[in-house]
Amino acid sequence: MNGTPRALNRFLLSLVGLLLLLAGIGLTVLAAVPAAARRWQDYAGAQVAWLRSYEDRSRLLVTSESWIWLAAAAFFLLVVVLMISWIANQGKGRASTLVDYQGNADDDGADGAVKLSCAVAENALKNALLERTDIFGVSATSYDFRKETGLKVRVFPRQGIAPQHVAEDVVELVEALDGLLGIEVPVLLSIGTGARSRFTKAERVR
Amino acid sequence: MSDFMRHAVRRETHSARSGLSTVAAIAITLVAVYGLLEAMLAALGEPPWLLSPISGMAWVAALPGGHAPVLLGVIGVLLALVGLVFLGQGLLPRRRARHVIAHPRVAIVVEDEVIASALAKSARMAAGVTREQVVVVVSARQVQVNIRPTSGIRISEGDIKAAVEGQLEAMALEPAPSVAVRLADSGVIGV
Repeated sequence: MNGTPRALNRFLLSLVGLLLLLAGIGLTVLAAVPAAARRWQDYAGAQVAWLRSYEDRSRLLVTSESWIWLAAAAFFLLVVVLMISWIANQGKGRASTLVDYQGNADDDGADGAVKLSCAVAENALKNALLERTDIFGVSATSYDFRKETGLKVRVFPRQGIAPQHVAEDVVELVEALDGLLGIEVPVLLSIGTGARSRFTKAERVR
Repeated sequence: MSDFMRHAVRRETHSARSGLSTVAAIAITLVAVYGLLEAMLAALGEPPWLLSPISGMAWVAALPGGHAPVLLGVIGVLLALVGLVFLGQGLLPRRRARHVIAHPRVAIVVEDEVIASALAKSARMAAGVTREQVVVVVSARQVQVNIRPTSGIRISEGDIKAAVEGQLEAMALEPAPSVAVRLADSGVIGV
């Protein structure tokens, strides 16, 4: 439930894959079929010859070199900036404010604002769940996702614990939290296994 | 379930591919930084570091040149295979091994491993065997329970199936998988 640009990831990965695939197939064909290699050399050789003559014609007065290399450098710089922003967008979207309510005179007759930090809901759920013995670990984080703030609770129960029982208890806690906060925050519960629950014995007596 | 929740659940049950995206972005950045270096050297009229842009392009245009066709062919096939991997990552749905429990208030996602260990426990109770004799495999639409009985003790496949199905029904998974129980032909001794 974070802001990773998934559609962009899929599109760019497909694009990279397609380009690599075409380059690979092209190289294999060039190596395997002499006729194709001759046609490629004729075609690409003419392009390079044109580029060489254009480079000669487009020399700048200042450096006496062609401007096309400056343009190529600008293009590569743009690619670097785009790639870094692509990496920076992975996994973003952590929220800090759960509720920001501006009071007004029509509503409750009081001027002022109510701001609830996400830590309120996160710590309330975490502390309530960590008391249990059938659960190893809990993490609660808030994310801004699709213009709403949602809470993601990740619970790691011991081996053999029925997930529906854990889910029921968490739902009860969430309903108590609704009453506490006065609003319904979207909650996503993810029940998983960590390394600790995998390598320890199942609980035999409760 | 609200629109928001549906999207959040979809995000939990499908992979984000952020690992491969980061790898691809770093690789492209390295190539672009090298291209930037050579383009700037050419623009300033300095000698190239490894290969000037125009001679690089001339080398590509002269392929296969004097290189061994077998080597070029192998490199081409490798490139195409890597491309296929990327294309597959981009186009396939990449489901994660997780199931959804339907609930009106909270969106619940459970990893298949948790489901498997809960089902293994109820299968073990129904069969009266130890932990090591039960293996449960949960996939998107099927639950396979493999049991090696204790030698000399008869166990009933129907009871185990009923116990596992009852537990599975209580979980109310979406989509609900079907149960298959398989008893091994040979038993174990000394447990």
